[in-house]
Amino acid sequence: MDAAAFLQGSLQAYLSVALLLFVTGLGIVLARRSLLVQFMGIELMLNAANLALLAAARWRGGDPQASVLYLFIIAVAACEAAVGLALVVALFRHRATTDADRADLLKQ
Amino acid sequence: MSISASEWGALLPVAIPALAGSLIPLAALDRDQETVKWVRGGAFFIALLGLLGSFLYVSRLWGTGAQPTFGHLRMDLLAQFSAIFVLVAAAMTVLQLWDHLHHEGWVKGESLALLMLSVAGMLVFTATTNLVTLFLGLELLSIPLYALTAQVRLRASALEGGLKYFLTGAVASACFLMGVVLLYTVTGSFELPRVASALRGLGPDPLALAGMALVLLGFLFKVSAVPFHQWTPDAYEAAPHPIAGFMSVATKGVAFIALIRVFPWALGDGTAGEPKVKAALALAAAATMIVGNLVALHQSSVKRMLAYSSISHAGYLLLGLLAGTPQALTGMLFYLVAYLAMNLGAFGLLTALGLVGDQTGFDRLRGQGWKRPGLGIAAAICFLSLAGIPPTAGFYGKYFIFKELILTGHVGLAVLGVLASLVSVGYYLRVLKALFLEKPVEAEERQAAEQPQVLAPLAGATVLVCAFITLAGGFFQGPLVQRFAERAIAETLKVLP
Repeated sequence: MDAAAFLQGSLQAYLSVALLLFVTGLGIVLARRSLLVQFMGIELMLNAANLALLAAARWRGGDPQASVLYLFIIAVAACEAAVGLALVVALFRHRATTDADRADLLKQ
Repeated sequence: MSISASEWGALLPVAIPALAGSLIPLAALDRDQETVKWVRGGAFFIALLGLLGSFLYVSRLWGTGAQPTFGHLRMDLLAQFSAIFVLVAAAMTVLQLWDHLHHEGWVKGESLALLMLSVAGMLVFTATTNLVTLFLGLELLSIPLYALTAQVRLRASALEGGLKYFLTGAVASACFLMGVVLLYTVTGSFELPRVASALRGLGPDPLALAGMALVLLGFLFKVSAVPFHQWTPDAYEAAPHPIAGFMSVATKGVAFIALIRVFPWALGDGTAGEPKVKAALALAAAATMIVGNLVALHQSSVKRMLAYSSISHAGYLLLGLLAGTPQALTGMLFYLVAYLAMNLGAFGLLTALGLVGDQTGFDRLRGQGWKRPGLGIAAAICFLSLAGIPPTAGFYGKYFIFKELILTGHVGLAVLGVLASLVSVGYYLRVLKALFLEKPVEAEERQAAEQPQVLAPLAGATVLVCAFITLAGGFFQGPLVQRFAERAIAETLKVLP
């Protein structure tokens, strides 16, 4: 295969990778019990969306609207990270643990 | 770049609360504010002023019938309707917060600042048909709410509820975003009308279907429909009562109003995914009504009961979306307004009785109705309306939706809805029984006698106003629907393709 064409990739390839990342992130949030790791799973999901977005924009000939959304997503992810980490740190001060299973004060 | 007067018209309703939200932290900089009452009062005053300014501006727009736009922000009549809805809910929340935070001993400026930013996000969320702006509005309304839920960080349980809300909410946002990106990949546009026309031209494309499903999932999460409801009871229990009320009313309200706007375009009529989306929605509505009502029967905490009740109300509202006729959508708007009054009244009762922290069991309400008859009767009206007993507004809201549901041929779902609301009478009457028919627990009575009387004039006043709106909505439902809800729907539906 031509190396340049492989690097260029096709939209399907990019989308498959993005969906794979997305599902991996979702799996991490659902399966792992450490709040920080779950948090990373969420970031992975957002970045999977970013990857798909950029691939689609490139495929459509460089849509500036998509690039703007890409920047917005990064900013939104940073805001979410700020609030989420603040919550984790505040809970850690009470409990000295970031294990989600031990957050069981509220009735299930 | 200069902004014209009409563009300012679309921008100002959003900008005023956001500006107030940015000013409040300045008022709250003072470290010794616990002793300085006027600084606290100043912060609350700025918040109310911001809400009032935006409210006056939007109601003037509504009066003149102007529908200004600014870029992707379109302040059409539906957006103005939902702006007034959100602003009224937020104003009542601010008044209740004043009392509740003083009971908690935790008055901080950040609560108000976050609330104002969330209000700005809600206004953006309902005033756009562009998916990018929709996503930004969704995040701007959600992220402050995560922090608001956990704001009394003295208690580990508050942080825990906030974290659960954050984790589930962030996953839902990420799913919504992925849905938007997939729809863009398939259709090449973020504008809903163009997305819709492109989707109609397409066959049953799996990517488009996945995109629709993920966007719908994001909405269903925000309205707390089953099976995306697990966060609701924990988040409501952790949040201060007024914030829980605000979350249940305003978040659900704007999510439904945005769904009214998005649904016919991106998810419904004429696309290959339409039957599947409709079936999923019917299933979610039925499950939401059944689970919400049955689980609410078995709660020992009033707040958790109200959380499950808010889940079940999401089910009734989904039915309106399923019927989909203009009359049904009008009924949904009426129901949302009724729901605003009755649910804020119900949460306001908890605030007005001064029940802080986890003291929200049913036995805490015992005999309180006789001690403060005005408050008790006003709250009783709100709870009767939640149960859907005529002649309150809650009854007519359900009536409008179920009527349209039967006319469009969904008789089974309508019967299920009526049965579900019959079940709901059981747990709402439990509150009334505790308020008026049961004697207070003696030990608590003695304890209460030793402590100074709980004062909550503002929260009490909001409960009275809520009861008044509930009754007015019941007695004058015809003219109210015609003048407000129908106008919002009719003018907006005109721009539907």
